[in-house]
Amino acid sequence: MSLLGAGILKGMAVTLKNFIGSYFDKERLNTLEYIWQTDKSLPKRAGDYPKEEGEQLRPTTTVTNYSRNFPMLLHDDGEPMDTIRCVACQICERECPPQCIYIEKSGDKKERPGSKPQFYPATFDIDVSVCMSCQICVEVCPFDAIVMNSQFELSTPDRFNGLLLKRGDLLKSNQYYHKIHPEEAASRDKRIADDKAAKEAKKKAAEAAKEAKKKAAEAKAKSEAEANSKEESKDTSDTSQVFTQPNKEEGTE
Amino acid sequence: MNWELMKDILLVTVPLLVIFPTMFALTTWVERKALARIQNRIGPNKVGVPMSRYGGKLSLFGLGQPAADGIKMLFKENIVPAKADRLFHLLAPILSLIPAMLVLCFLPLNFPWLTDEQNSVKAFMLDGAVIFFFAITGLNTLAVFMAGWASRNKYSLLGGMRAIAQMVSYEIPLVLSAVVVVMTAGSLNAGEIAKSQDGWNWFVFTPWGLAAFVIFFIASLAETNRSPFDLPEAESEIVAGYFTEYSGFKFALFFLGEYIAMFAISGLAVTLFMGAGDGPGVETYPSLKVIWFLAKICFLIGIMIWLRGTLPRLRVDQLMGFAWKFLMPLSILNIFITGFAWHAQNNNEESSFTIKAIIWIASLLILYLTAKGLDKINRSKIKPRTYQYGE
Repeated sequence: MSLLGAGILKGMAVTLKNFIGSYFDKERLNTLEYIWQTDKSLPKRAGDYPKEEGEQLRPTTTVTNYSRNFPMLLHDDGEPMDTIRCVACQICERECPPQCIYIEKSGDKKERPGSKPQFYPATFDIDVSVCMSCQICVEVCPFDAIVMNSQFELSTPDRFNGLLLKRGDLLKSNQYYHKIHPEEAASRDKRIADDKAAKEAKKKAAEAAKEAKKKAAEAKAKSEAEANSKEESKDTSDTSQVFTQPNKEEGTE
Repeated sequence: MNWELMKDILLVTVPLLVIFPTMFALTTWVERKALARIQNRIGPNKVGVPMSRYGGKLSLFGLGQPAADGIKMLFKENIVPAKADRLFHLLAPILSLIPAMLVLCFLPLNFPWLTDEQNSVKAFMLDGAVIFFFAITGLNTLAVFMAGWASRNKYSLLGGMRAIAQMVSYEIPLVLSAVVVVMTAGSLNAGEIAKSQDGWNWFVFTPWGLAAFVIFFIASLAETNRSPFDLPEAESEIVAGYFTEYSGFKFALFFLGEYIAMFAISGLAVTLFMGAGDGPGVETYPSLKVIWFLAKICFLIGIMIWLRGTLPRLRVDQLMGFAWKFLMPLSILNIFITGFAWHAQNNNEESSFTIKAIIWIASLLILYLTAKGLDKINRSKIKPRTYQYGE
């Protein structure tokens, strides 16, 4: 028989422990101030940093590696539109809970290094005033084309067009991704490489299997021909035997 | 025009208008800080006195936060939905603040600068102060529903309807638990109830008083829409309930009204159960009474914040069930226990210690077992939730 209201008192004891503990035990605090500030002489406010061309933030100095704000599109080394990873499959557009992504598929396919010609997004807009930073687009993307950015200085006097990020604003290089989220980018690259290697191995295996099949087929044809020639010499009226025989041979191989 | 009376009334009311809004500002800061610490965060610690000319600033643990919030609220755009009822949309926040402010006058705060004669400007020391208190705080329900209705928003309306159901239900245990104090003190006058508790005879130090205090406190949490009973303004379920369409200063008024109502109902709890201004050293320094009164209010507010950091929100059916099937039978039983206890104590002058001990043990046992039984009965009807469409 438990005491009435004991659960409430227990909970209150836990919160009291947290309340008092957080004043004495720095380990308890799950938010640390200015954790990115490796150099104390740097300004504390993000706005005080000089802005670089094309990137609003100085990389990794003003936000932590764990900051995720709005999505961006990745491209590999080279011209952004030549090496864009997105193939305009529109999975993210369909999955996006607040439906802030708008994609228009291109009419033509584009050559890209290391793969066959693919479609590309003719339009790729993200309305960041609608985006809720849920990262679902990142989760569902099969091409590792969309990842989270940590850029947060997005304030603009134009609340409609200013907050609608176009394809050009969203495209970021893989190096930039490595700069802002080093751990995540490294693990993602490793996974892509692994997938590629696995694919290659599979391809090779498939080729080998093809080769083997070819040989088997040749052998089969040979044996069939032989059988046929034999059967021809006999009086053949039962066709089923002819068809079952090669199958058996394949099975034994 | 009776200028003397005007002066006396202002001497009583102006301090209230200074003290309680100040306490409100500080409470918002304390609440944010305390909740942050409960969740192992730091809380607001940046806003202070800007002194960039002298290099840096004085952050003062973020004590400037209420001022910054206030300035922000004042300058925000006042948005009214196109189809909203503009008049009632405007009236609702005002109507929620007025009753909360009004009932503050009925608290027996004995300001030291008032002479005994002025103290009887007790235009406010009504003989039916307790009844009047409940009657006026009941207006708050109307304001909340008015806000929900006038906003022309489904979420707001849902919030308003939840608020009506909740506040009307919890008013019953609230009043019934206050009845025991009125019975024992023999008066509805807040000043006399306070006087009858002088010298550490606080009603919370009696078994029935303790039970009534707990019931009163729980009901007052629901009455002021505090967590865990903040269903009318549940952010995760109905956006923000009746607040949804409010912004800027109107929202600030609602916010202020809610906190002032918290102070008022805590003040009533202090008056009824915790001896009003009674405390150590009041015989020698009567002016300490105000300090003790406010300190006790702050103590109750602190517990409210603590509970808010601890308990999750109730479901609607749990909320109503708790009021009608648990608190109400208990508070009615408590009235009977009070009657018996009072009778037993007053008719047996001799060996009062044994009588007291028996009363304590017997009444607490009866109350506890009843509570336990009610809990068991209520729980037996709760079945695992079945879903018709979803999983």
